[in-house]
Amino acid sequence: MMPVRSTTTAAQQTALVLLRTLVGWHFLYEGYFKLLRPAWGRDGEPLAAWSAAGYLKASTGPLAGMFHALGDAPWIGALDTMIAGGLVLIGLSLMLGLFTRVGCAAALLMLAMFYVSAIPMSGLPEPRAEGVYLIVNKNLIEAAGVFVLLLFPTGQFAGLDRWVRDMRRPQASMSEVQA
Amino acid sequence: MTLTPEQQALGRRNFLKVLAGTPALAALGTAAAVQGPVRGGPVRLGFLGVGGQGRALLTAAAVGAVPGGHAEIRALADINPDQLKRATDLLATHTIVPPAQYATWQAMLEKEDIEAVVMAPPLWAHADIAVGCLDAGKHVLCEKMMAWDVPSCERMRDAAARNGRVLEIGYQRNYNPLYEAAFAGVFDKELLGDIYYVRLAWHRNGNWRRQGQPPWPEYDPSPWGYPSFEHLLNWRLYWKYSKGLFAELGSHQINIANQVLRGQPEAVSASGGVFRFKDGREAYDHVYATFEYPGGRTAVFSSIESNAFDDYYEMYTGTKGTLILRREVEALLYSEGDGEGLTGLEIAPRTAGAAVMDASETQAGNRASSPQAQAQSGPTMVERAESSRREIRQFCAAIRVGAPLACGPGKALESARACITAHDAIAAKTRLEIARA
Repeated sequence: MMPVRSTTTAAQQTALVLLRTLVGWHFLYEGYFKLLRPAWGRDGEPLAAWSAAGYLKASTGPLAGMFHALGDAPWIGALDTMIAGGLVLIGLSLMLGLFTRVGCAAALLMLAMFYVSAIPMSGLPEPRAEGVYLIVNKNLIEAAGVFVLLLFPTGQFAGLDRWVRDMRRPQASMSEVQA
Repeated sequence: MTLTPEQQALGRRNFLKVLAGTPALAALGTAAAVQGPVRGGPVRLGFLGVGGQGRALLTAAAVGAVPGGHAEIRALADINPDQLKRATDLLATHTIVPPAQYATWQAMLEKEDIEAVVMAPPLWAHADIAVGCLDAGKHVLCEKMMAWDVPSCERMRDAAARNGRVLEIGYQRNYNPLYEAAFAGVFDKELLGDIYYVRLAWHRNGNWRRQGQPPWPEYDPSPWGYPSFEHLLNWRLYWKYSKGLFAELGSHQINIANQVLRGQPEAVSASGGVFRFKDGREAYDHVYATFEYPGGRTAVFSSIESNAFDDYYEMYTGTKGTLILRREVEALLYSEGDGEGLTGLEIAPRTAGAAVMDASETQAGNRASSPQAQAQSGPTMVERAESSRREIRQFCAAIRVGAPLACGPGKALESARACITAHDAIAAKTRLEIARA
C-alpha cells in the first residue's frame, strides 16, 4: 500500500475526514428517516409518511415556479423516493469514503437545491425552524463544508477509496511490467 | 508468514484507514435503531361488538384514523346487524368509508388483515374471544371487566403471555387526564396522608333494562347462546352473561382504588338484591360491599338504582386531606382540620392533551358549595371522551413501540378478582377472602 502524496498534515487529514463523516451521517440519517416513514417515535407518536410535496409547494426564490410544479407532479412519490434514496447513498459515500468525490458533488448539488428552494431573505424567525437567518443558513454552510471536502482527496486519506485505488494499482503495475 | 511488529502496526493502520467511517456508521446506526423511530404505519384495527361501548371506542378510534394518525379501522363485527348499521353510520359522520362487516370475530380474523382487535362484547364472551384472537396472533384491547370469572381472566392473561401479544383491559379512568393529574399531584406525593377509608359510589335512579327491537321479527340469536333477543339486548341483567353492577360499574372504581392503595383487597363483605325492579331480571339493582385492604384500610362501594343524589364519585379520605373524584370530570381536594376546609384543584390541559394540577389555597369561593350541591352542575375539568381517545392511542403505541400499558392483565385481574368475589359474597351471605394471584 503506497502512502498518499499530500502536503496536508495528519491533523488536517483527520479534521477533513471527521467533517466528511459528520456530514455523511447527517445525509444518511435524513434519508433513512424519510424512507422509514410512516413510523412511530419512541414516545408513541405516529409519524406520517414523508413527502417533499409540502416543502416544494412552499418554496420561494428564483426557482419557485419549478419547485411548485414538482410539488404538484403526479410522480411526486417517485421523486420522494429519489430524494430519500439519494440522501442515503450520499451519506454512505461520505461516511465510508467510497467514491467520495462523486458523493461530495451530489451532496453539493442537493444542498444547493435545498438552499435555492428557500433562500432566507426575511431575516426573521421562521415557523418550526430554530435560529434566525439572513441569506446564510445551515444548508449553505453545510454546502460550503462539502465544497471544501470536494477539493481534497479525503477518501484517500481514510476510506474505502484507498481500497479501490489499491485494487486498481496492482493491475496497472502488472501491465506496466509486461510492457 | 512472518511480519515484523512494524509491518503488523502498518497493516492495522492501513486497515483502519480503509474502514474509516465504518465504526462511526456502526455506532450511530445502532443508536438510531435503539433510540430512533420504529417503522410502521397506523395500527390496523378490527372492532368486535359495536354496541354502546363498542361505538364509543369506535368514535375514539375514528379520531385517530386520519392520514398520519395512529389507527386504521379495517373491519367491524357484531352478531346484531342493527349495531353494525349504527356503527357504519357513526363512521360516516367522520367521513370514514364503511369498513368490511362480519357477524363473527372468526370470520373477521379469517378475511381481514388486521393486527389488533378492539372488543366490547357481553362479559361472558370476553375470554373465549380474547383468547381466540390472541392465539391468532392479534393484539387485544378488551373492554372491562376482564372476564366473567377468575379462571377466564387467567386464560386471557396466559394467552397474551404465550403469544407475546398486547392485552389491555379498557378502564377509562386509567387514561383520564384528571386521574393522571390526581396521581401525579396528590397520591404520589401522599398529600392526603394515610388513607384508611375510601368511599366508592355509583348511584342512579333508573331502570337498567334497555328497550329495543330485533333487526327483524324472526331474528334468532340462539346460535350465539342467547335464547331470545331480549337476552342479547339486556345481557347485563342475567347472570349467565353478566356480573351486574360490580362488573359494569364497581370494577372501574375498584381498579383505581387498587392503584391508589397499592394492592388488592384481602376480603370482602357484601349484600344486595333485586329490590326495586322485580321484572324477571337476575342482576341486583342494589349492591353494597366493604373491601378490606391490607393495613386496616377499607373501601366501601355502593351502587343503587333508586336514587341519583350521590351520583358517582370516588372519595379518598386520609389523615391530612380528602380527594373527591367526581363523574370522571372533576376533582375536589380538601385539607383536613386546619379550619380552611376547601382546597381547589386546577386542571389545565397541556399541549399533548394531558393535564397538570396545582393545589391552590386561593379558591375560597368554592367553600360555600357542598359537593352534593354541585353534583349535577359542577364544572368540567376534562372531556370524558378524551379518555377513550387516549385509550386507543396508547393501545396502538403499545403495539408499535412497546409503550407501557395503563391496565395490563395483572392489574385488570386484581380488580376483576375483587369484584367477582364481592358478587359471590352476596350469594354466600358471608365475608369472603379474596384469593391472591
